Amino acid sequence: MKWFSTYIKEMKIASRGFYFYVEIVIAVIVLIILLVAVKEYPESKAKEYIYYDMPAEMMEQVMEKEILEGNIRVLEDTELTLKPTSFELLDKETGKSEAYDFMEEKSIMAKTYEVINQETGLVSQTVYIFDQKEDMIRLSNSTGNMGASIISDSSGTLSYEYYIQGYETDRFSEVLYILHTFVTDDIEERMNQQTIREIGGTERLNSRESVIPVYIAFSGALMGFFIIMSYVFLDKSEGVIKAFAVTPSSVWSYLLSKTFVILTTVLISSSIVVIPIMKLKPNYLLFYLFLGVSSFAFSSLGLLVASFFDSISKAFGVLYLIMIAFMLPAFSYYISSFDPFWMQFLPTYPILEGFKGIMKGEADVSYVLLYSLVFFLGGVILLAFANMKFKKTLTV
Amino acid sequence: MLNRIIRIFRKDAKIAIRDAMLLYIIIIPILLAVGILLFAPGIIDTSLKVAMLETDAKEHIEYMENYMQVELFSSLDEVEKRVLKRDDVAAIIPLEEGYEIVLEGNEDAYIASSMETLNVLYELGATKENTTAEIYSFEKTVPPLKTKLVNMLILMVIMLAGMIISLGIVEEKADNTVSAMNVSPVSQNEFIIGKSILGGSVALGSIIISLLILGYYDINWIMIILVGMTTMILTFVVGFLQGISSTDVIEAAAGVKMMLLPIAGSIVGYELLSEKWQWTMYWSPFYWSYKANDEILSKTAVWSDVLLYAVIVFAISISLYFLAMPKIRKGLSKS
Repeated sequence: MKWFSTYIKEMKIASRGFYFYVEIVIAVIVLIILLVAVKEYPESKAKEYIYYDMPAEMMEQVMEKEILEGNIRVLEDTELTLKPTSFELLDKETGKSEAYDFMEEKSIMAKTYEVINQETGLVSQTVYIFDQKEDMIRLSNSTGNMGASIISDSSGTLSYEYYIQGYETDRFSEVLYILHTFVTDDIEERMNQQTIREIGGTERLNSRESVIPVYIAFSGALMGFFIIMSYVFLDKSEGVIKAFAVTPSSVWSYLLSKTFVILTTVLISSSIVVIPIMKLKPNYLLFYLFLGVSSFAFSSLGLLVASFFDSISKAFGVLYLIMIAFMLPAFSYYISSFDPFWMQFLPTYPILEGFKGIMKGEADVSYVLLYSLVFFLGGVILLAFANMKFKKTLTV
Repeated sequence: MLNRIIRIFRKDAKIAIRDAMLLYIIIIPILLAVGILLFAPGIIDTSLKVAMLETDAKEHIEYMENYMQVELFSSLDEVEKRVLKRDDVAAIIPLEEGYEIVLEGNEDAYIASSMETLNVLYELGATKENTTAEIYSFEKTVPPLKTKLVNMLILMVIMLAGMIISLGIVEEKADNTVSAMNVSPVSQNEFIIGKSILGGSVALGSIIISLLILGYYDINWIMIILVGMTTMILTFVVGFLQGISSTDVIEAAAGVKMMLLPIAGSIVGYELLSEKWQWTMYWSPFYWSYKANDEILSKTAVWSDVLLYAVIVFAISISLYFLAMPKIRKGLSKS
């Protein structure tokens, strides 16, 4: 049990240092930010600019109907600033361009409505209604939000003009075209006849909860990787690793104790954030098992990388590149349509997936256990390699 | 004085080249820029995805391919496995009469309604020729998500320069070179400026190369450089402060983590907070820097706004510099 007494000694040293408390302070700050600033169900920031090319009474009728049906909510008129700008507008059908040039800044008042999602009751977008079509086009260009004109002919038939930015996919344009081919009532009637079958879990993480897997993965595993390297370089510079050559304690117990110092810090800082936010929703047994083995594997990787360099400056490039690569699965986590096959080979991918399942309270236990085993075995192998490397060189 | 500053700069450059640090500062942002260039199309194409059976009618598959990314599978079992994967993919399966939409159950509500709508439009035989919609395009080529990633890259490079100063000073303290500097004709101000020039010029160079790789040729370069330089003053002051106050590399690493908070917080605040709550981020110079870069990269920036943002960042940075100066001087004298 030499490693345990080394671990106790290391913990005592760590608890006297600045870093240990920084971890706890950061966890508390993150917790406060999540509780105070991040809403569980935030309102959408999406905006759309609309110009109604129809008699005022007709437009009022349309809006009143929407208000009565609970689809929109009236807000106070908004003052919008139109900056000087110039641009060209391409008609996608004819291929003809029209140039617009606005030299003066201008302020206008726009009627403002919030569009309500009937299922969730949340605001799905804010709509601004313009008196001048030119103002709508100008603001759509400068802000990057979509603009639209809704035009009524003398018979009351509606047609639509969409003002898109140009970087949208062709599929997006095709959807806009196809959505206006039939009367809405026809579509709604047929939609109600569609058969829908759900085959999986229905639980979703809200906005606040969905931050937790990312926080744990990056603060725990990745920072564990970074910090253990810093610990080792500090000990190298102070000759601690050399000293192990003349003590009865082995390098192995030194490395293991360092790993356990990181594990302890990660367990404390993660618990500070996870427990108050998630309460009793997750399976904590699975959570702590997965957190422990994933942090262990990343700490072992940190030890192995550290064994190849003699200062943090020299290891910096490798350290930084590894950390950036391991951060990439966060894109897949937040943008579900971006899920390339190769991404699944990055270890942070199953970590994010595993923690997401655990946080939802409906984790695929076999998935979590399988990856726990993979991370445990991977960690042991990496630690064994690091041990061999440190034993061989003692100083490098 | 200029000679001494250049000498410190050359000494740091030599060390940085020997430790490959200079190479990292240049190569890392460029690698990230290439990464953004390669991955951005995949990240930006947020078209819906649908799983379908290979045995489905050819015209049904082709119809859906106009509006969604279609993935084909040979059996219902494989389709269901695909639906159950982590991303939001629904399936449309032919039945004896009509179609069935298969969902996992935890998708966004719009996914189910989009699938239903498009499938109904197919059943009704809707085609583009019957549309009452017209589309006009501003013909912009750079999507906002790419701009956001590039903006984050710029802040990351600036932070990298600060981190390197911090870690460099900790190592110089350990090697006692700071003490040696104290008994040389080099003044503390010259030492600070000399050390900052290397990180600053290389970081600025990396930002410019990265922007060129990413195709931002026609942005206002003077604006980008102005905002970059004012933000760098702040990270250098923080880098010096962290380096001076850290007794070892662990404390410097902890400082780096502390610095990540306001940077990440500013980006998240700018992107996620509604307009009425944006004022809560006004204290952060990184917020103003991110906002300025966002407008410059999207080519909507006007000089009056950019100058205002740059002045705010500069004012906060220079205030922190004067506040921190006694501590930096004391730290350098003690080392």
